[in-house]
Amino acid sequence: MTLAIHGIAAAGGPFGPPQPIAREAGGLHTAIGYWHHEDRYKNGTEFVTRQDQVYSEAGYGAQNRWDIYARIGVSNLKIQDAFSSTNALTTTSNNDFDENWKFFGTLGAKVFYPFGKTFGMGAFVQGTYSFNSLKDDVSGTNNGTPYRAVLTVQDLWDVNFGIGFQATVPYGIRLYAGPYVYYSEGTASLSTNVPGLQFSTTDTTIKNTTNAGGFAGIDLPLAKGFRLNVEGQYSERLSAGGAITYTY
Amino acid sequence: MKSFSFAVLLFALITVGCAHTPQVASSPASPAASPQPQPIIVASTSDEVPPKPPEATVKSPETPVNSEKGTVNNDTNIDYTEESKEGEAPTIADPIEPFNRAMFEFNDKLYFWLLKPVAQGYKAVVPEEARVSVKNFFSNLGFPVRFVSCLLQADINCAATEVGRFTVNTVWGIGGLMDPASSKDLNLQKQDVDLGQTLGVWGVGQGFYIVWPLAGPSSVRDSVVIAGEYFLYPPSYMSEIAPWYVGPIVRSYEEVNRTSLRIGDYEALKEAAIDPYVSLRDAYVQYRWKKIRLKKGAQIDELAPSGMRMER
Repeated sequence: MTLAIHGIAAAGGPFGPPQPIAREAGGLHTAIGYWHHEDRYKNGTEFVTRQDQVYSEAGYGAQNRWDIYARIGVSNLKIQDAFSSTNALTTTSNNDFDENWKFFGTLGAKVFYPFGKTFGMGAFVQGTYSFNSLKDDVSGTNNGTPYRAVLTVQDLWDVNFGIGFQATVPYGIRLYAGPYVYYSEGTASLSTNVPGLQFSTTDTTIKNTTNAGGFAGIDLPLAKGFRLNVEGQYSERLSAGGAITYTY
Repeated sequence: MKSFSFAVLLFALITVGCAHTPQVASSPASPAASPQPQPIIVASTSDEVPPKPPEATVKSPETPVNSEKGTVNNDTNIDYTEESKEGEAPTIADPIEPFNRAMFEFNDKLYFWLLKPVAQGYKAVVPEEARVSVKNFFSNLGFPVRFVSCLLQADINCAATEVGRFTVNTVWGIGGLMDPASSKDLNLQKQDVDLGQTLGVWGVGQGFYIVWPLAGPSSVRDSVVIAGEYFLYPPSYMSEIAPWYVGPIVRSYEEVNRTSLRIGDYEALKEAAIDPYVSLRDAYVQYRWKKIRLKKGAQIDELAPSGMRMER
């Protein structure tokens, strides 16, 4: 039996401005960033997921038209009420699934078309995969009998596609916003069946329910080739983060 | 213990600087990756921007020297004067010349028979950009040695520059593979400091000349800091997280990569020299002398010796 539980989405990370970061003549860029991602699902039980990513990015682009990039970083995962019991005879030591830093990777590509010196629009596709299994354990008693179980979330991935509109204002500041769609899924399983817990030993596909959202951000030139990018995304809940990029 | 001893030995031999993988340095103020003294100075790298005017560059191996083979007095009390008068060349005692010459020959054969062929094969299959990135990566790992050396020399600007370089290159340079800190915009150049130089700045004499097998030219002063630089170099701790042989493999790879970027430099020195051993010795001592003098604030013009001279 496969039970689909919605609402646990992988953190896609920021999309960045539609205009490529690389120099027009072509070149590399690198970045370091932080991203806080939240999502939620309601269907009798409410799961709220939170992830914090710290990543390093490298990319290459040219002609002010296209850019490809890759990220590698670490991310945690918190699923609120993942261990909440629906059975009065089952007690749990903790309600939340909480896993610390595990590696993930992201690949992305974007194209940009300028309408003039000020406006332009672009499209992007970005995917993320979590290399490691995410685990947390829970213990308690079931009808007076002690138990201990481990919940494993693995093969967590997502893909995002969006369109962004950009305006370049004085001082080279780029403002951008647009809609995006996304899909994410993973597999969750509990090491032991415990009555009242919402996961079981059967592999459970977990995925998001809301497939669309919006994003907006600002990209500020700093000094000496550095730029600051701050972005927010909203689908089920608000996610936000920032990155400092360096253009070679 | 065996693995540790092997790692220490290999490190000691390699990091002092192989006689046959001459370190490329554009100037005494901006040597190549290794934190250790390097003997041959032939400006050929393109990834380092010399912060000093050309007058500061160490005399190239092609420059004729007037040292003569076998004219060294083995008196250990030779009045080596690192603080030579203006216009005079630095000199060094060579009381163990027979041993040094034997080690020189050993290193020479090792270079031509093993290191150079391996480096040439490596060069043939790995693009230069990748090899420069590898060199940058290992150079970035040399940050602790340079940082501590800056602090021990009470040079806060030097230490701050190194911290800035390490941060920028690690974070935005993909773990040190790239070197954005040296870009024209940031202009955070790698500091040409090491622990042996620090002792020299403190006034410690360099003692006599030693040629280490595998490692090449050194002095007593530069040899006594090998342990310190070993413990300040992160790859030295590879054995803590990997099998014992991984560390030596990594260090060997670092040396092969470094050599692949300088094939031909040592050959040029040998061809230009009447006695390569003497040329190498003179180049080494002059390079170290200038490196210390520059740190002591000597003017560039003062560092133009009238000629090389060996104690008799």
